[in-house]
Amino acid sequence: MDYFKEFFKGVWQKNPILVLGIGMCPTLAVTTSASNAIWMATATTFVLLGSNILVSTIRTIVPSHVRIPIFITIIASFVIIVELTLKAFQPDVYKALGIFIPLIVVNCIILGRAEEFASKNSVVHSILDALGMGVGFGLTLFILATAREILGANKFFGYTLIPGMKPAILMILAPGAFFTLGLLLWAMNVIKSRKARFKRTE
Amino acid sequence: MKAADIVKATIIITIIGFISAFSLSFVKKITQEPIAKQEQEKKLAALAMVLPGYTIEQEKTVRIDNMPFTYWVAIKNENNVVKKAWAFLAEKKGYGGPIQSIVGVDESNVILGFTILSQNETPGLGARCVEVVSNETFIDHFITKNITNKEEVSWFQEQFVGLNAGTPIAIQKKGDWHKEMKQELIQHNAITAITGATITTKAVTQSIEEGIQKLHKALTLQEVQ
Repeated sequence: MDYFKEFFKGVWQKNPILVLGIGMCPTLAVTTSASNAIWMATATTFVLLGSNILVSTIRTIVPSHVRIPIFITIIASFVIIVELTLKAFQPDVYKALGIFIPLIVVNCIILGRAEEFASKNSVVHSILDALGMGVGFGLTLFILATAREILGANKFFGYTLIPGMKPAILMILAPGAFFTLGLLLWAMNVIKSRKARFKRTE
Repeated sequence: MKAADIVKATIIITIIGFISAFSLSFVKKITQEPIAKQEQEKKLAALAMVLPGYTIEQEKTVRIDNMPFTYWVAIKNENNVVKKAWAFLAEKKGYGGPIQSIVGVDESNVILGFTILSQNETPGLGARCVEVVSNETFIDHFITKNITNKEEVSWFQEQFVGLNAGTPIAIQKKGDWHKEMKQELIQHNAITAITGATITTKAVTQSIEEGIQKLHKALTLQEVQ
């Protein structure tokens, strides 16, 4: 039960985007299509998993005053691995995500989890934490991207939904990302406060 | 901080840096070949698209106005007459950064093919310069599996085929492209602009004009030598 909690907290109670408010840059930038969102989430989850495992493995031997450069070296190495692999085997995805692949290095989710969680917990817990955070990040990205792609491009995974209909281009441009994210945050907070009220009245 | 602490930290950072550099060089070695192959294939596919039916003879890079300019020489044997054609890289700043394209022209400056290699224009507006009009819907693809009306070529890029690059290409605002427009546009040596993205359209036509001037310079340069 404890393990499940560790995993699930990244999806709901501590969702990186909607609750912790970190990793906003790729969230706003790459959610123009559902497939972009899924690839971005996969790449980030891989880096997060790799860095969490390594950081928690070496957590006892790393002197605390030089931990940040060490964490960054580890994260950057994983990001370059992802970048080269995508470039070699998924060039279209690499082209679509562009600069946001190398920018995973500075994604706060990864350094944040390394600093806050992996450097203090065991490897198994760190793996679950990374997977949970990855799924939470991915789900949020996917919901945002689906809403934006359907409204802003009249498409879903690149296929036209209603032939001949003009989409609301605004939704696929930058403002659309803010609108959708705002609505999602509002929905999340409504559900949370309802739940809390329900618990109090019990 | 004690001296021993500093030594320990230095050693640990060095070891981690060493391990990471080693593993990255390993990954680099694995991926190097596929990446080079991808780029080569992409280039060949683009060349085959802009010079249909021609065989590429050679690739040349010269300096024109202190800028590198790459072009390809291609030939085709038609009824025992050797026909020459050229392809060149054209680039011009659009609305969101440079738009890079590759253009194929024959001896009388008629555009044989045109394809955009990279662009960073606004999605839904300027980025429609690479849009492929597809009537295929989500339902067609997954439920009825009725995949007949599939088009692979971008409508915006297809418009350039048959135009004369030697004279300025006019831009007309005729709204969305459809096939019946082609005859009329060719008479005026014109293309129809992307709605709401005149800057993108202009950048593309200007890049072709500048490119063909550079190509002629490069060719005369070659003859002098």
